[in-house]
Amino acid sequence: MVEKKQPKVQVRNLTKKFGDLLVLNDISFDVQAGEFLCIVGPTGCGKTTFLNSLTKLYEPTAGEILLDGEPVDLKKHNIAYIFQEYSTMPWLTVEENVRFGLDIKGVEKQKANKLVDEYLDIVGLTKYRKYYPDQLSASMLQRVVIARAFATQPELLLMDEPYGQLDIQLRYHLEDELISLWQRTGTTVIFITHNIEEAVYLGQRILVLTNKPTSIKQAIDNDLPRPRKIASPDFVKLRNEVTDLIKWW
Amino acid sequence: MIDSTTNSRFTNKQLIIIYTIISLVCLLIVWELVARFTSASMFLPPASEVLTAFFRSFAEPIGQHTMLFHVGISLYRVAVAFLFATVIGIALGVGMGYSRLFEAIFKPLFEFIRPIPPLAWIPLSILWFGLSDTGKFFIIFLGCFCFITVNTYDGAKNVDPELMGAARMLGANERQVFFKIVLPSSVPYIFAGLQIAVTAGWSAVVGAEMIQSNEGVGWVIIRGMSTGNTVQIMVGIVAIGIVGFILANLTSALERRLCAWNAQKGI
Ligand SMILES: Nc1ncnc2c1ncn2[C@@H]1O[C@H](COP(=O)(O)OP(=O)(O)O)[C@@H](O)[C@H]1O
Ligand SMILES: [Mg+2]
Repeated sequence: MVEKKQPKVQVRNLTKKFGDLLVLNDISFDVQAGEFLCIVGPTGCGKTTFLNSLTKLYEPTAGEILLDGEPVDLKKHNIAYIFQEYSTMPWLTVEENVRFGLDIKGVEKQKANKLVDEYLDIVGLTKYRKYYPDQLSASMLQRVVIARAFATQPELLLMDEPYGQLDIQLRYHLEDELISLWQRTGTTVIFITHNIEEAVYLGQRILVLTNKPTSIKQAIDNDLPRPRKIASPDFVKLRNEVTDLIKWW
Repeated sequence: MIDSTTNSRFTNKQLIIIYTIISLVCLLIVWELVARFTSASMFLPPASEVLTAFFRSFAEPIGQHTMLFHVGISLYRVAVAFLFATVIGIALGVGMGYSRLFEAIFKPLFEFIRPIPPLAWIPLSILWFGLSDTGKFFIIFLGCFCFITVNTYDGAKNVDPELMGAARMLGANERQVFFKIVLPSSVPYIFAGLQIAVTAGWSAVVGAEMIQSNEGVGWVIIRGMSTGNTVQIMVGIVAIGIVGFILANLTSALERRLCAWNAQKGI
């Protein structure tokens, strides 16, 4: 017997208006469990608005977003949200920052210690565990935030242009780290960017959005083998394909 | 400015200490000369006389007690009042900064009380509390609690909304947001308030001890005034100055320890 698998996230006819400004216009799509989905769209098209609707910061004007078939509840569902601003707590050390989410969720102490050690090691910050955020560089801060998110073992990880402010070198490095974390943990990721190359590099599937009022232009499956080479002909071909689809300019 | 590159023989810290000592010695010399050789000697006893009396006051009592006891009893009064001011000031400040309702209820009341100088409360304090220590606590309390409240309020108002959002995203409830984000991120503001408040509270002790008392550094001054003893007045002033200086330095040392994350910026 073949059981029909329920999608992890179901977006159903989502519409969001701010006053008279129609931002999201009747958007529907699914995200499968364990999928790495990239959403590309021009600045101001409503990408952040979508995530904020998912996390209940905004109330949708119409439609709904379901997680495992239920309305989202942050106290119950374990969602991690990483934004562009490095939201580390400046009064906590690196390790205390990584532990923060575990404390909030009341994870038992020994288990929390183990998780903190593990994820500090994965993002390469073990040596800096006693440092305060003020003493760290931008990329290290972003790693703290990522370790904090993964340590809570989220069922859904939302990332909103997390690497927008980093230079290219660091971005590649952190993107590789992210992919390996994703492969290791099997968590579901929705990654938002306006950078086409980043979307092609990371995404298992790429959702291309239109300008405002925003709808889905096309969904593209991306099964290029990993690790992906940005100079390879297949990569360039797919990148050009997405670029042609977009032509925001 | 002190430039460390040209004076490699001393560290910056040592230089600051050296300059401080030089400035103090100069002050004492000028004071001594003015008091000895100008007509100011009518109201200003020379530095040597005041300092001698000051040191002697540790061995020989002024009134019924030696200086250490006077300082101790005044410190005790400040400490009690300061403790109450800290608890109430932080609670009120953080409450007003965090909750709109709380702010609406208490802010107008607070803004009304804030500009009233602590000394203006003395008559009321005598009527309410008589001549007991409670009245003195009350005056010192009023002298320092506003600083703590205002600073804490500022801190709680200035909490980074990103951080509150991040905590909520991780599933924090309102109580956790309050204790894990709002309170700790207000700590540097609270400390700035405590620092001002310690000094202000210590200054208010003179006023508080003007309500009849038989001991305390404020009393030393008041007593000196009523007996026309200028040297004793100045001995009291010197004691208040020295203790105030020590208190200010102690609190900033404490701040450097407890707010290491915030101090790192400057260094
Ligand atoms: N809270 C809000 N109130 C009013 N308008 C908003 C609000 N949030 C976003 N918008 C508007 O919605 C549009 C989409 O914004 P946003 O989701 O931040 O775009 P993106 O993340 O894709 O760059 C913008 O035009 C923005 O001005
Ligand atoms: Mg955005």
